[in-house]
Amino acid sequence: MILGITDPLRFAIDVSAFFSIYLMLSISLNLEYGYTGISNFGKVLFFAGGAFTAGALATRTIMSLYSSEIGSFGPYCTANVVYATEVSKLLAENPGLSITLFITLLLLGGAIGGILGYLASYPAIRLKESYLGITLLASGELLRIFARNYEPLICGSLGVSVPDLFAWLPVGLKEIIQVGIMLFIAFMAWYFIEKLVRSPFGRLIRALRDNELAAEAFGKNVVKIRMQVLVIGSAIAGMAGVLYAFYTKSIHADDFMPLKTFIVWVMVILGGAGNNIGAAIGVLIYVLTERLIMQYKYMISAPFDVNYLSYIIFGIVLIIILLYRPQGILPEKPSKTIDFEKVIKKLKQERNPS
Amino acid sequence: MNATLLIDAIIFGNLLVLLSIGLTLTYITLKIPNFAHGDFATVGIYVAYYFLAFHKISPYFTLPAAFLISGCVALLSYLLVFKPLNSRGTSIVGLMVASIAIEVALRSILHIYADSLTNVYKIISRGFIFRDFGLQLSEAVFIPGLLIVSSALTIALVITLYILLTKTKFGIAMRAAIENPDLAEVLGVDVNKVYAVSWFLAGGLAGLAGALVPFRMPANPEIGWMLLLRVFSSSILGGLSNIYGAMLGGYIVGFAEVIGIQVLANPPFNLSTAYRPAIPFAILIATLLLMPEGITSKIKLEKIATKLRGVRKQ
Repeated sequence: MILGITDPLRFAIDVSAFFSIYLMLSISLNLEYGYTGISNFGKVLFFAGGAFTAGALATRTIMSLYSSEIGSFGPYCTANVVYATEVSKLLAENPGLSITLFITLLLLGGAIGGILGYLASYPAIRLKESYLGITLLASGELLRIFARNYEPLICGSLGVSVPDLFAWLPVGLKEIIQVGIMLFIAFMAWYFIEKLVRSPFGRLIRALRDNELAAEAFGKNVVKIRMQVLVIGSAIAGMAGVLYAFYTKSIHADDFMPLKTFIVWVMVILGGAGNNIGAAIGVLIYVLTERLIMQYKYMISAPFDVNYLSYIIFGIVLIIILLYRPQGILPEKPSKTIDFEKVIKKLKQERNPS
Repeated sequence: MNATLLIDAIIFGNLLVLLSIGLTLTYITLKIPNFAHGDFATVGIYVAYYFLAFHKISPYFTLPAAFLISGCVALLSYLLVFKPLNSRGTSIVGLMVASIAIEVALRSILHIYADSLTNVYKIISRGFIFRDFGLQLSEAVFIPGLLIVSSALTIALVITLYILLTKTKFGIAMRAAIENPDLAEVLGVDVNKVYAVSWFLAGGLAGLAGALVPFRMPANPEIGWMLLLRVFSSSILGGLSNIYGAMLGGYIVGFAEVIGIQVLANPPFNLSTAYRPAIPFAILIATLLLMPEGITSKIKLEKIATKLRGVRKQ
């Protein structure tokens, strides 16, 4: 027992899993808000898009492929837990199929996220920040309401079970490897965005954020660039949704409240908008705090749910940061370029090869 | 159309008007959509419920208390959060994030209050409704007290606001401060005071609407947030910067939602009534894409006024 945590390994796995999911969400928001200045208050919409894709398709795909081996337990929605368990059993003996399904759904979730991002970009590139915020937030709520009532998607308010795609691994190693893969994907996404914002495209989106009119005057297609940024960010959020579905193994429409969007905003603003390392630090602080509160919850005796207390604290922390350190823990740094003197030296060398 | 449906639509419209006028009042001061507006209404619900549960006073008599307390919550959120942020030059997005932070914190406080009511005092704190009085006119027509009270409140409010904004010195200063804060300040208007009063009024109106909500639907700490989408939709339909537009928007959204879902739930559509929140959303999207300036931009009040004057002169 360390610090009163009964199972440190379990705790570490949990923290790493949520860290990787939230890291993907927060860097994608950082790309949209921190670097491009799009106020995406509907992050949960794209996240849910990915999660619903995985939730709706994982069991059904295998069921339609191996319908004879799984057998029938009644209508899909009422028996979806049984079906998911049966599919997990089948996948446990078939690593190749599990990996193919994982990769396919990950890419599909990303694609669905990207498509939703493309649809959302239609108002996004035409509206002011405030109207855009309302529209995206409302769209997220609409998707949630739709998913809660439309049974063929994720079985409405019942929620849907997601099969275990890593069941073919030995029991002790299974979760460690799954979390390892999640962390790897998250860091790949992080690295991709870091490279992207340091490329000429990165300077372009920052120019757009700082002065849209000037960027337009230089002949840049503002509408197209914003659309591209939203599609990239939303695709990453969609993939995060798929990872979330496979980690929690059950998807309920009500897990995708606008509160999730707010949490991602807290991370980005806490860590520092326009700084990817800052965004990662924001994620780490939030996930650690949240998981520790979950761990110690039983020790606090209060006549109410302690989670609410943590939301109040995060709200207050966010306001204090906005007031006293609006740039966040790690402020945005000027974009990295090659040292000016080095460039001159190189040029001189090229001119006089002797 | 049957009378009950019409009464439902009028009541829902009245509540939305009270809420969206408040939202518009805060929007025209800082130019941000206040995501915490719905929670000011939830505060009103629990103030009314407190007096009902502990002192057995009908929520109709405690409306002033709901007005005052919700107003104070809104005033405090302006003074403690928005005013300092605004004076530090925080961007619109920053202010919006702050308003979401207030929303989350307020909602959590209300959840804690509700949990404590249940666990400490053993009182139902979620899903309660208020019992209403009413008049049975005929077998089919029942006039609930809420119809009378909410309509009276809305009419009184509109008249008061009209007198306040056009006839009093303070109201004229308020309009000036909203129109052009810098110029108003130069001319000696205390812009901060004007903004503070706007926020207090907005919160108070939300509280009034909130205190009436449980007569119609089961209340819980989330209900203000659920209502917020409708409020945004009616305010945006009204143009977001026009109080009378918000009024019109409130009635349109209220009627569209109540009557629209009735139409959609019956053949040939047979949709589940759970899709009800999609109606204000559709209105919101349609407004933003077709006439982002709101419905009032299409109605030229001046033209109508000059026409009326012209008629009178002849």
